[in-house]
Amino acid sequence: MALDGDGDADRSRRTVLKAAVALGGASALTACLDRTSDDPVPSGDPSAKPARQHAWREYVRHDDHGNTQLPSHQILLYLTLDGDGPPSADGRSALAETLEALDRAYAWSHEGLLHSIAYSPAYFDRFDDPLPEAIDLPEPTALSPFESPTIDRQDAVLHLASDRADAVLEADRALRGERDTANGVSVPSLPVTVDSRRTGFVGAGLPAQHQDAAGIPDSHPVPEASPLFMGFEAGFRGNQATEDYVTIESGPFAGGTTKVIANLRQRLADWYDEQSDEERVMEMFSPGHAENGLVEGIGDNLGADSKIDQFVDELESDAREYGRVGHAQKAARANRDDAGNVRLLRRHFESTDDIGSDQKVASLHFPSLQRRITAFEEVRRAMNGTDLTEETPAIRQRVNNGILEYIFVRRRGYFLVPPRRHRSFPTPRPE
Amino acid sequence: MKRRGLLRAGGALALAGSLAGCSSLIETRAAGVPPVPENRPDGVYHPSHVEGMSMIGTTTSGDYALGLFYSYPHRFWNVNGNSVSLTEIDEDDAVHLMASVWDPETETVLPDTGLSLEIYRDGSLISQEAIYPMLSQPMGFHYGANFGLEGDGTYTVRLSVGAVSTRRTGGFAARFAEPSTAEIPFEYSESAKNEISFQVFDEEVGTPGAVDPMSMDALPNASAPLESDLPGRVLGSGTSNDARLVATVLETPPAGIDGDGSYLAVSARTRYNRMVIPAMAMAGRLDRDGETVYDGELARTLDPDLGYHYGAVVDDIESGDELTVSTRVQPQTARHEGYETAFGGLMGGMPDVTIRVE
Repeated sequence: MALDGDGDADRSRRTVLKAAVALGGASALTACLDRTSDDPVPSGDPSAKPARQHAWREYVRHDDHGNTQLPSHQILLYLTLDGDGPPSADGRSALAETLEALDRAYAWSHEGLLHSIAYSPAYFDRFDDPLPEAIDLPEPTALSPFESPTIDRQDAVLHLASDRADAVLEADRALRGERDTANGVSVPSLPVTVDSRRTGFVGAGLPAQHQDAAGIPDSHPVPEASPLFMGFEAGFRGNQATEDYVTIESGPFAGGTTKVIANLRQRLADWYDEQSDEERVMEMFSPGHAENGLVEGIGDNLGADSKIDQFVDELESDAREYGRVGHAQKAARANRDDAGNVRLLRRHFESTDDIGSDQKVASLHFPSLQRRITAFEEVRRAMNGTDLTEETPAIRQRVNNGILEYIFVRRRGYFLVPPRRHRSFPTPRPE
Repeated sequence: MKRRGLLRAGGALALAGSLAGCSSLIETRAAGVPPVPENRPDGVYHPSHVEGMSMIGTTTSGDYALGLFYSYPHRFWNVNGNSVSLTEIDEDDAVHLMASVWDPETETVLPDTGLSLEIYRDGSLISQEAIYPMLSQPMGFHYGANFGLEGDGTYTVRLSVGAVSTRRTGGFAARFAEPSTAEIPFEYSESAKNEISFQVFDEEVGTPGAVDPMSMDALPNASAPLESDLPGRVLGSGTSNDARLVATVLETPPAGIDGDGSYLAVSARTRYNRMVIPAMAMAGRLDRDGETVYDGELARTLDPDLGYHYGAVVDDIESGDELTVSTRVQPQTARHEGYETAFGGLMGGMPDVTIRVE
């Protein structure tokens, strides 16, 4: 089986599976399922699941600093209902049955399967009643003066995540009706159309393994230790909102959250070939991080906090002094509430999907959880650094302006993640 | 020059041979790209060679008109703050793509839009880059970058123009606020590229001066207004490392700028070719009878009448005032050969310009 044609006859099962999720093709999946002979995937108990669909942190790996290690393999299924009206009662029961079967098939764990379904503003528009006023779920929009993303307006998105490639692929295949069972449990296929299927991976080793993709230079610069293509750790515990913080507190959707999912194409030739390590640290974190030598290698030495808060007030002076500003530095200034709490819980993962083509192109799926979508919009706008382009012409719209030169937003969608009790086709005001 | 570059140049040499003798200028690529001239002056100078360019297409999208052109891969100098670094031609580069953005109504070339482009072939992504603003003697301000291609064939180039964040006034105040995207097809063949002129110069190389601006019907000129066409009362001008700074004063600020008083505008243009010089940080000081009556930023501003300029509201300007214009950050545009030492550039230094108001 030639997954990537490197001719390594001793490829481990694990390597094959990793490649298979990234490729996502049916032949890769078949190859996977032929090779699932060792450790069983733990099965689940529907009554033992947390009330929040987004309760992942307790159920995944952490590094030595307590930073979350997101599940290695992830799939996003974008779902569309037939017709224009609200979903039928039959449809609702069918979806509930499918999701319950998934709960029986897999333990709620990185070794089993974490999943969550979320609904778009377009979905809620199917109903006559509006969402409660306290729910902040606007229509998605462009958020920078230089992007024209395609808006994802599908009704829903189902997010699957596991450290077990075989688990995530088998669940995916059963949900799409390509097989009857998942982990030995009968799973009825989703009662909706899968409009778009997007796959990805995250964690040390995987980006390096998948760097043979358009957008990454031929020099294979992605470090083996890096969890992401850009060569640094991200999502330090101290710079992430807690699950409690992003959870909607009251109303019918109490226990839920909102979710933005963007897809960004990455173009890393200049990032790796034109920039020194120091310049990359400046643009990813802040000039102060480079000046003070705070980041070694991929930044594991930062521990549980990127220390970015120390450098937020330096933005304007950094712009003038260094002619460069940092990505994290810009975003952080809008990503704290009045009490200093972080507002967004980012759960991004890498991909070689090029939505709309079969080409392997470096990209990033960027899910972010927050209580209100507006919080995400404010952070993203702060990341544009438009004010800093006025500070000095050395900071341009996309150049010397954090990492904007290297990322190109292609898609964006906004969703409401209901609490588990309302996860199957909720009305805007569920009882 | 890298090996593959030499081989390509060799192919072009054969073509040059077939055209030899048409003039004292060699019309296609001779023995590769000439070296960067030695003993370049600290200012605008006559380059060793000039590549011609060929139009790929023009289109309009949103508030913008867009033009796309190509030539042989170029070497150029990138500018980031005070750092100026040579970008050599890469062995995989097939073309230098140049994009120009202008207002279709006034034919004003728009700097500071930001521009990125994607190149596709049969739906497959070949490249995508945020491309850099550049200044060249024949073309003035444009966006440009070298790109590799996958041989002869039909490509689609998708251009994405960013919204203009530069302060805008008058008829421009409510315009250019949204990004826009347009596609232009590109039928590429190496043989057609090799018919693009490639002029190599001789004794004038490295001497102060510039090659003439080219003229193309489809592409408006990126030049600054003639001094005599500038609105307001022209106070005078001076030169800073071959950036010519012309100061004018309007009785009232243009629409879109708050404040009472006169409006001081400095229009910056290249010596010889009068090309607009954008993307500087500038400051002005006005002294009167030994006292400073204004000292502050001259903000980058785009106005349909003044063109791209640097301006501020001042109380008034009187006869006998002394205006000092200082460049705090040199133009943040890449430079084609002949401009890399000027306007700050490789040797740095843009001295203040002082103008005594008559």
